[in-house]
Amino acid sequence: MPKNILIDPFEARQPGILTAPAIPLNAYMPDAQAEAARYGSANLVRMYRDMCTIREFETMLDRLKKEGSYEGISYDHRGPAHLSIGQEAAAVGQSFHLTPDDFIFGSHRSHGEILAKSLSAIHQLGEAELLQIMENYLNGTILRTVETFSKRDMPNLAIDFVLYGALAEIFGRATGFNRGMGGSMHAFFPPFGVLPNNALVGGSADIAVGAALFKRVNRRPGIVIANIGDASLGCGPVWEAMMFAAMDQYQTLWDAEVGGRPPILFNFMNNFYGMGGQPKGETMGFDVLARVALGVNPQAMHAERIDGYNPLAVADAIMRKRKLLESGQGPVLLDTVTYRFSGHSPSDASTYRDRDEVERWRAQDSLLSFRAYLLAHGHAQGDELDQLQAAIRERMVAVLQAAASLEISPRLPSSQIAGLMFSNQPCDRMAEGTPDVLLPLEQTRLAQTLAKHRFGFDAEGKPLPKLRVLTYAEALFEAMIHRFYQDPTMVAYGEENRDWGGAFGVYRGLTEAIPYQRLFNSSISEAAIVGTAVGYAMSGGRVVAELMYCDFMGRAGDEIFNQMAKWQAMSAGVLQMPLVLRVSVGSKYGAQHSQDWTALVAHIPGLQVMFPATPYDAKGMLNLALRGSDPVIFFESQRLYPEPERIVAGGVPTEYYEVPLGEPVVRRAGTDLTIVTIGATLYVAMEAAETLSQSGISVEVIDARFLNPLNYEPIIASVRKTGKVLLASEACERGSFLHTMASNISQLAFDALDGPVVVVGARNWITPPAEMEEEFFPQKEWLLDAIHERILPLPNHTPNTEQMLDVIVARNRAGV
Amino acid sequence: MSTSTATLVLLPKFGNSVESSIIVRWLKQIGESVAEGEALCEVETDKATIEVPSPAAGVLLEQRVAVGDDVPVQTPIALVGDRGRGGMERAPQSVDRGLQPALTRAISPRARNLADRVGLDSTQLVGSGPGGRVIERDVQAALAAQPKLTPLAKSMLAKGGFLAPQSGSGPGGRVLGKDLVEESLPAAPQGNEVSSAIRQPDSETEPGVKAVPITNIRRVIAQRMHASLHTTAQLTQHRTADARQLQALRKRFKASPESLGLRAITINDLMLFAIARTLLQHPELNALFSENTVYLNEAVHLGLAVETPRGLLVPVIRNAHMLSLRDLSSEARRLAEACQTGKATPDQLNGGTFTVSNLGSLGIDSFTPILNLPQVAVLGIGAIALKPIETDDSVAFIPHIGLSLTINHQVVDGAPAARFLQQLAEYIANLDLVLAI
Repeated sequence: MPKNILIDPFEARQPGILTAPAIPLNAYMPDAQAEAARYGSANLVRMYRDMCTIREFETMLDRLKKEGSYEGISYDHRGPAHLSIGQEAAAVGQSFHLTPDDFIFGSHRSHGEILAKSLSAIHQLGEAELLQIMENYLNGTILRTVETFSKRDMPNLAIDFVLYGALAEIFGRATGFNRGMGGSMHAFFPPFGVLPNNALVGGSADIAVGAALFKRVNRRPGIVIANIGDASLGCGPVWEAMMFAAMDQYQTLWDAEVGGRPPILFNFMNNFYGMGGQPKGETMGFDVLARVALGVNPQAMHAERIDGYNPLAVADAIMRKRKLLESGQGPVLLDTVTYRFSGHSPSDASTYRDRDEVERWRAQDSLLSFRAYLLAHGHAQGDELDQLQAAIRERMVAVLQAAASLEISPRLPSSQIAGLMFSNQPCDRMAEGTPDVLLPLEQTRLAQTLAKHRFGFDAEGKPLPKLRVLTYAEALFEAMIHRFYQDPTMVAYGEENRDWGGAFGVYRGLTEAIPYQRLFNSSISEAAIVGTAVGYAMSGGRVVAELMYCDFMGRAGDEIFNQMAKWQAMSAGVLQMPLVLRVSVGSKYGAQHSQDWTALVAHIPGLQVMFPATPYDAKGMLNLALRGSDPVIFFESQRLYPEPERIVAGGVPTEYYEVPLGEPVVRRAGTDLTIVTIGATLYVAMEAAETLSQSGISVEVIDARFLNPLNYEPIIASVRKTGKVLLASEACERGSFLHTMASNISQLAFDALDGPVVVVGARNWITPPAEMEEEFFPQKEWLLDAIHERILPLPNHTPNTEQMLDVIVARNRAGV
Repeated sequence: MSTSTATLVLLPKFGNSVESSIIVRWLKQIGESVAEGEALCEVETDKATIEVPSPAAGVLLEQRVAVGDDVPVQTPIALVGDRGRGGMERAPQSVDRGLQPALTRAISPRARNLADRVGLDSTQLVGSGPGGRVIERDVQAALAAQPKLTPLAKSMLAKGGFLAPQSGSGPGGRVLGKDLVEESLPAAPQGNEVSSAIRQPDSETEPGVKAVPITNIRRVIAQRMHASLHTTAQLTQHRTADARQLQALRKRFKASPESLGLRAITINDLMLFAIARTLLQHPELNALFSENTVYLNEAVHLGLAVETPRGLLVPVIRNAHMLSLRDLSSEARRLAEACQTGKATPDQLNGGTFTVSNLGSLGIDSFTPILNLPQVAVLGIGAIALKPIETDDSVAFIPHIGLSLTINHQVVDGAPAARFLQQLAEYIANLDLVLAI
């Protein structure tokens, strides 16, 4: 879309042959002498120690799951344990050159990676830094517990801290890394650069790209690695993440000073199995995993296959690739060959592979070969390594004893979980600094919107010309530009955010004001749009992602439902999620572009859900969302973008203001009947109220405007007054959030009700063509007829639409 | 929507005091044609058997109530309209909508609460909501049609615990606070629920069994008796009192000059006099109990159980403690006659603070009278019989009258009740002196 990039027909139609770079396979040449010089004996032995530590840690878990005890200590671990026994060299080799500033994100099988990265960080950090980290983390809760059984000095205390924090987390204890709320598949420890592991296959890919974007945009040091499995290449979001990471614009359009492409390394821990399927030869067609990089960019993502059974081959690759990444030449793909001896999980009987195959890999077990290497080249003596092994076991026994004990390691009282769902830490800027902008604020389009009429009617109540009045879309713009100029970390992106100004013009004028790295067009990758935003936000930045149509939420289902919603609570409050996902609810564009899916996200714990219906709220609620620290699904109505403020007297303030979180608002006061709406149906309700007033029925209209959190008190107060209530929105009636609201009202105001709580939604059909929408979306007549048929027979009223109770049964029986 | 219409037939209200009627028989069967004004069915009120005329010409489409049903007035009982199906004139729903709220007795929680709060019997209301549901506006309409209330009476009604009479003692029938009557305790379950396990004889096949549908009054009695025993803890104490003064006074009054107007004074009147005076000293027995509150009364409004051809009635002698013996006697007689002839008004049948029931003339020595809710005590008077009394050195046979006091042991303890009986016995024994009080 940018005008400065020409799409030349001659070039596009030119014949020729596309050539691609060669991809090295296991190119590392071991050289004992060079390795001794590069690492020194102490580091080589430390690598072995870390590999043994991981092996022992997971062997302990394996015994507990299969035999119920380890070294005489019994424990029943109910939760999961996806073990990586056999993959230790890949984890330790990777971490050797990583600093605490480098982030790793993992998978469900990442115990080894978090331990390796933590042990590496402990080695690099000074005693004082380590102590400070442990003291500060969760107010020293873990450290205090570790001190009850570990009397060691640094760095051994820190090693006990890591082993205990990880194990207590796996056991679901309040003294774990994430208070037990993450568990085995989600344990992580940000101070050492260990970011969340993810129970969704490939779930870390786009999140890691978002973290890399954060580092690049905010000029933070370090690279980011997504440790995901070979089978995750069957997942769309992984491909979306790679497309997002490889966008040309980082180099063609972004200011070179930003630093180029996000420093992201996709490390596929290629253990050759995905559940019971075998990507190579069975479920995928790439033969060699690294081949897929050829399809991503001309550099083929600098892809290599590396030998994950040799820690030094892995360490070497990371050292080389981090230089590329730091210089802005990413993304990188590594096909790290490895193998797990253990099953997918303890329930896996490994029926899908031959015992002989496992034995062949066991014969090449990296622990055995690396031990032999250390002995052969004089880096250690056999008894020295035996002692090291014994010390690890001893350490593991102490850690297990403490983690298994409910006295030492209690569970988090469930009463505290609710308090973890939202962080509720509004702040003007997520980091200090001067926001990068291209124009002084007063020279931006804001000057034009501020000059507009702020209310749709003149003093006599006559409508003003629409072009002269601030619209809903422009009200959103004012909130966006305000925060862009306040918070240097804030970025916004979506499929048409720059130049076009957003498909509905909300961002018009921002292209001129905000540099590329803070406002850009993304690939058509809804999963990656939301997933990267999750990674950006959890890294400490504010982000506004946009889905052009609500209907596209399905494309980002995992990212919205499992990632955006969950990480604050799964981190026990360690992470914040200042992510606002703008979602536009359409109309006129048929079945796949006109759906209101508010109920889906309101159902998912951990999300705030907002839906302004007037320009005043559009600005005040977006202001609220953009100063918050919590994930917000911010619905907007395409019907309303061009509309001026017609309800809130005084119109849209020019200055900054926020709508109070979760508070519904009375749009029209009345005494006889309450109508509560969500979204654009407000205007239908206002018309119905006007009609009813002519029959002497005084209607109170309430705009819920929030779905979660939602204060029911004003609604209940109204229902207590009127005794009659109808709920309406454009969402399809079945499963609509209004039914949740109806159920709550019935319970909270039962004795005050003069009739059932009635819900009017859109029909349970596909959305028909634009010309037929009146048959589909709630109309004024539907509301009047529903009131007449179900709540309050109206004088001289003849219903023309089907709102009788019978239709509820008939329609449900038919499934429509 | 169908364009044909049908007319809902509501059970008429045959007079102000009629709350419900029993369906005696249908004169038209479903499908039969009926002219406007032609009788559809016969119903029995507590006063008479009356025919219900059809409000419209057409075909009887539905009989909504069955023979023997006790139907509140203004309840839909039938549908008359075109053959086939029809919409409806009054209520906005078509006949075939099975899921519309049931037509009888459906009432919204809000309407029920309001009706309860203002003391309206919600079963009497005609619903204007969907499917004939009684909704708030129906209660409000009924309230508006009610007698005018003073602000005090309104606030008392709103607070609850009182019922408003049809008309009050204020100017133009305005209901004053003092006109309100105490609300009784919640009604007990209907008799047929309680006795569902009891085998019902079949009068058509079993010889010697005659099925007699009970009257409205009997139905009320049945409900109240059951509610009384069902919701309170009743304890009866028995004792006797020296009746020589009673008999002596009765003899003297009978023989007194006619001009004094004392000849009609009965033993029962003398007992009422003694009871009213004794109650003044024992407000805990001259009390009402409702909603966790005991209301002690300074005034004695004495209920008097009266047998009538239609069943038991309890007229109330107001301010019995202030009446002379002669006035008390004539008031008791007047009320009893009103009950016998069916002329007692609701006002005369409500508002008692204590009830007296006399079975002495029928030879009963003692019995266990049942509380008249929400009163906390009822006194049964038994027959006068000779009782051996030990004197200085021998035994004398002295006439004694039986006293049976039932109390609600929930709120009245045994000892105060016994002390009441003790004082009453003293008053009776010394009635000549008490007359001077």
